[in-house]
Amino acid sequence: MFSYIFISPLYILLLYLLLFQTASAFDYRAYGYIQPENTFFLNGDGKHNQPKNNLSVYTQGTFISYIQDDNAKITVNGIGRYDENDKERTYYDFQKLKYEYYYDDFIFKIGNELVFWGVNESFSIVDIINQSNLAEDISGTKKLGQPMASISYNKDYGIFDIYVMPYFRERPFSGKKGRPRLTFEVDKNSITYESSSKKNKIDFALRYSTVLDDFDIGISHFYGNNRTPKLSPNLATLKFDSHYSILSQTGLDIQATKGPWLYKLETISAKDGSERHLSTAGGIEYTYYGIRNTPSDLGVIVEYAFDDRNDNPFNNEGIIGLRWSVNDIKSSSLLAGYLFDMRGNSNRFQVEFEQRVTDDLKLFLDLSLNGSIDDADFTYQFKEDSSVTLKLAKYF
Amino acid sequence: MRYFKIIFIIYVLFPLSLQAETAEELGLRIAKASYDNGRGFTDMTSDQLMILIDPQGKEVTREISGKTLENLDPNDGDKSITYFKTPKDVQGTVMLSHTHINDDDDQWLYLPALGRVKRISSSNKSGAFMGSEVAFEDFSGTDYRKYSWKYLGEETKNDESFYILESFPLYENSGYSKRISLTDSLNRTRQVDFFDRKGELLKTLYLEDYVLYKDEIWMANTMRVENVQNKNKTIFKWVNRELDIGINKKDFDKSSLMRLVD
Repeated sequence: MFSYIFISPLYILLLYLLLFQTASAFDYRAYGYIQPENTFFLNGDGKHNQPKNNLSVYTQGTFISYIQDDNAKITVNGIGRYDENDKERTYYDFQKLKYEYYYDDFIFKIGNELVFWGVNESFSIVDIINQSNLAEDISGTKKLGQPMASISYNKDYGIFDIYVMPYFRERPFSGKKGRPRLTFEVDKNSITYESSSKKNKIDFALRYSTVLDDFDIGISHFYGNNRTPKLSPNLATLKFDSHYSILSQTGLDIQATKGPWLYKLETISAKDGSERHLSTAGGIEYTYYGIRNTPSDLGVIVEYAFDDRNDNPFNNEGIIGLRWSVNDIKSSSLLAGYLFDMRGNSNRFQVEFEQRVTDDLKLFLDLSLNGSIDDADFTYQFKEDSSVTLKLAKYF
Repeated sequence: MRYFKIIFIIYVLFPLSLQAETAEELGLRIAKASYDNGRGFTDMTSDQLMILIDPQGKEVTREISGKTLENLDPNDGDKSITYFKTPKDVQGTVMLSHTHINDDDDQWLYLPALGRVKRISSSNKSGAFMGSEVAFEDFSGTDYRKYSWKYLGEETKNDESFYILESFPLYENSGYSKRISLTDSLNRTRQVDFFDRKGELLKTLYLEDYVLYKDEIWMANTMRVENVQNKNKTIFKWVNRELDIGINKKDFDKSSLMRLVD
């Protein structure tokens, strides 16, 4: 899985810089956390004989050192998880393992990086650089570090970014004992690519982003291996075969910030293999500040996603969410979301609560409830996977 | 010529004379002098300690550090970058603010776990800063341009005499209906009473540990807030404050945020 670390000479340079360049004036910051988690599934044991209780431990560590008279920086951000049941969810990764050099209006960067594009809370359709780790979380918000070389040119009228990505990361999916998981396992030995270079295909991306008064605007283009594979059931192996096509995607993201109102829009036009499709998602967020004369704030989020492909699971979906920030010493907050598919009558309900217990201990409680789900819906395979997860993070 | 001499005597020897000014004009003049007292720093870096004390006396400490760029535009506010250090779960979070005098600020937040910069709504200037008794709008509370002023008189406390000023916020989303402040003979604001939107006394701010920088800039290195309604206290201390160190102006652009974060 981590052979890419050794194939790239970039990492040798990085290692050299880490070992020797920093030694002269070793000024660094390091921090991280370790987080035991327990998930309890409300429908008993799973369809694939997964137990109703799952224990795992997640950890993350960050190291930052400014070097070369503060003209350069090394960042290492490693994450890892041990999962008692799912082998595919037991992993480690370097989301960031990079060397950056600042020169005038330029930032030169090599190594693994985490890049986020877009403005939406829920439907991140423009975001494409990093592979989603679906073994971590089926929402796809947890990412894998993307090896790259990039140049960023920063002017007061905006930022131009160019990315060259020499190595592709395949999407991790839950394993046999993972929960939630797809009906079939994804066969890691049956992966095909449209590109003859397969995972060594060099991907490219460009982005221009700027701020015009109340508007934050980004225009982007990506050309490379699609991060999302097409899965097709193989009746011989009873597993999913995956195919990564070549994606050419142009994206636009805009946020308007007008007092307590945020207006968000993301749209892409993409050629995936031989087919072109259009996808748009956007929404409105409004925050009531100081509700009932307390310091707490209540935000209301409404987002909708449209995709002109009928087989896309997010082709006509909406979410209504509430975010309650208590603004107390414990930074208590509650995020509740109701997701619904506007074609059928599938719906899901999610709640995330968090609160600091002591200065270096934080508690998270997540609730995920599947309501009625059409048997034709993509999420039908997760119908029996409603769960409650308790996490306790210890920071150091 | 004699006539000019009389004016000279009135304005220079009796600068606080009410003969030539209304209470509003005098209030504004003292407020402006107090504000100008802390200006001219060009740019600034500092570490800040915030001690939150609950009514039972239990304390927690928060650490942040920041950079500020003075804006000389008379119609606009300063720019600042805030690095959150503790509590440890917010470590790596960075906030960029472009403040505006009587309008919402522009604010961006860098969230390290997602590698994401988010433009956030800032019409919450009255909101509590990190669970403290300090509101965002209090950080620029000495900016005379944010209020209309009125001189109420003088008061003597501990053998020191103070001008009493009343001020009303011009910003429509302010959390206050009015403030009453005490300014000392060196034109330093020393105490401010804040009244909530209903007109009730909410909290008192004490500005302490004034230090004279570069022989002309007065800055309070301690802000102590006592909320009389919920009985919480917040002590905000500036340490390692350095002025005029030549920070690149471009650091305060959104486009530079990515080079300042982890």
